Amino acid sequence: MSLRKTVVLSSIAWVILITALHTALNLNLFRSSRKSEKTFKVGFLPVTCHLTCPVNHYIQKHLKGEGGFEPIRFNGWPELKEAFLSQYTEATFILAPMAMKLREEGIPIKIVYLGHRDGTALMVHKESGIFRIEDLRGKKVAVPNRFSNQRLLLFKVLKERGLSFKDIDLVEMPPPDMPAALYSRAVDAISSGEPFMGQTELDGYGRILYLTKDVWPGFISCVLAVRDDVIAKDRPKIQALVDGIASSGVWLDKTMDNRMQAAQFVSQHYYNQNPRLLEFVLSKPPDRVKYTNLNVRRPDFEEIQKLGLEAGILDGKAGFDDYADASFVKDSATVEAFKFTDPESVQQGRGRGVIK
Amino acid sequence: MSGAADEAIAETVAPVPARANRNPIAARVGLPLLVSAGLLVLWHVAVRVSGSDLFPTPADVLLGVVELARKGLLLKYIVASLFRVTVGFGLAVLLGVPLGLLLGWFQRLFYAFNPMIQILRPISPIAWIPVAILWFGVDDRAPVFLIFLASVFPITVSAMAAVQNIQPVYIRAARNFGLSRLDLFRRVIFPATLPQVLTGIRIALGVAWLVVVAAEMIAVNSGLGYLIIDARNAGKRYDLVVAGMVMIGLIGLALDLLVRQLERFDEVRWGYSR
Repeated sequence: MSLRKTVVLSSIAWVILITALHTALNLNLFRSSRKSEKTFKVGFLPVTCHLTCPVNHYIQKHLKGEGGFEPIRFNGWPELKEAFLSQYTEATFILAPMAMKLREEGIPIKIVYLGHRDGTALMVHKESGIFRIEDLRGKKVAVPNRFSNQRLLLFKVLKERGLSFKDIDLVEMPPPDMPAALYSRAVDAISSGEPFMGQTELDGYGRILYLTKDVWPGFISCVLAVRDDVIAKDRPKIQALVDGIASSGVWLDKTMDNRMQAAQFVSQHYYNQNPRLLEFVLSKPPDRVKYTNLNVRRPDFEEIQKLGLEAGILDGKAGFDDYADASFVKDSATVEAFKFTDPESVQQGRGRGVIK
Repeated sequence: MSGAADEAIAETVAPVPARANRNPIAARVGLPLLVSAGLLVLWHVAVRVSGSDLFPTPADVLLGVVELARKGLLLKYIVASLFRVTVGFGLAVLLGVPLGLLLGWFQRLFYAFNPMIQILRPISPIAWIPVAILWFGVDDRAPVFLIFLASVFPITVSAMAAVQNIQPVYIRAARNFGLSRLDLFRRVIFPATLPQVLTGIRIALGVAWLVVVAAEMIAVNSGLGYLIIDARNAGKRYDLVVAGMVMIGLIGLALDLLVRQLERFDEVRWGYSR
């Protein structure tokens, strides 16, 4: 055969083969992208701060046959933010200061609900000599992002002890890379959302310097945000999402068995992590991260904003009424937990000894 | 420019045909296997000696690959990555080769467009990720676009250089025979540039496969690049990270061997035996 004939024929055969295989094996990908023109997409990351997103989706799917929205999992903050900016996702879980910053920059973003409370730690290496906040002086500390609340939290605790960012070596690092960085002692301390902090403890080389709940009770890192035009157009869908998150949160905080069920189905179907990670961070201690009391409240955000201004990441161009819309929030007292038990997860939990 | 291109040829074209006959097949297959086995042992020993709890041994990685295969994910991910590379790289060849030949032949076009190409060429596909997401969202199109970008420039530049390097005597002879423009292109320029164009394509295929990890950092939900990013999110699954790396390497080797087969054709081989 001549060169031309060989190349042309084999190219055509290969393109047909690989396209057919891709369509067959990853067909759900095509199906979802076609359907998704109409669905309501919500961006999230595989962290406990965003846990109510998959929990809400899973429970709704089992109670009503469909989740009511399409959860889109991202792997890092920049991609998550860009997908929201390009209007690919209608709503997204996002860092609270990042949402404020985007609003200052003229992005029509509104915080409509919280994702969680607490759920962050500052970890140091077990064998390091860091036992107090003051010991961080001159050390290398990793935070997820300059607009992360972990960074503001660190700013706050340093300030309370008469220190500032100038006294430490601050670096930005994606949370999934943090455990390995601490293990190899490339950094001296790490702070991000769970489960990456719990992982270092679980694997035996991390030690907690502080848990958020001890230094900033009621800490908020991630919030649910939507665009202004989505509020105008899809109000009922946002309301359903907020109500679902509220009920999922109450469900999660109601019993430890519920949390252990969530650890099973979220690890398996959404996060693709070892269930023992979520089992650990959702239970040790149980108030490490909380999913109730998620209302958008002015004082909480003004406190964050004040810190953001002091830390120099915000400029105060947008106020609470610009970046938040509390109209979707119902009175917490009326929120009821989902009536839901997942037999499969209960069985797995029993097998793993976390559910009696 | 031409010097660099010649070097690239010399580098990528191993002097296989002449010496191959003297070396028995046992040496050509056995030696690389021996080296690989040696490196694997070294890797295993290094992990054991350092007592690392995080870094996997070759056996851990093999178990990781087996686990992926059992779940049916391995084939799924390989197919997804190959599909994206096929489309992105295919588009790059379809656009890059004609563009390069045109720019190489018409001096004014070269003056007009070459600076722009040289500006765009060194920009890493990682830098294009935000742009790709803003333009294409996070489905298959964004990684395809990144792979296209990474491979189109090496192809264009090598095709351009190939035309510029044609020995003038070929063209003069063709003109003396009174060839029409179309015939000149079909019967002289295209065959004369083919070996060098193919070398460019081969390098570009390597680059296209190289950027698959970066391209799949976007929230697609399949592919070998995705496997690596996903394993990093999954806590302590560095065995899967390395498994992804190993699979990318092995498939890269297979792709290279495949493209090398093209060099056996007479239409190409003459270009290397100078």
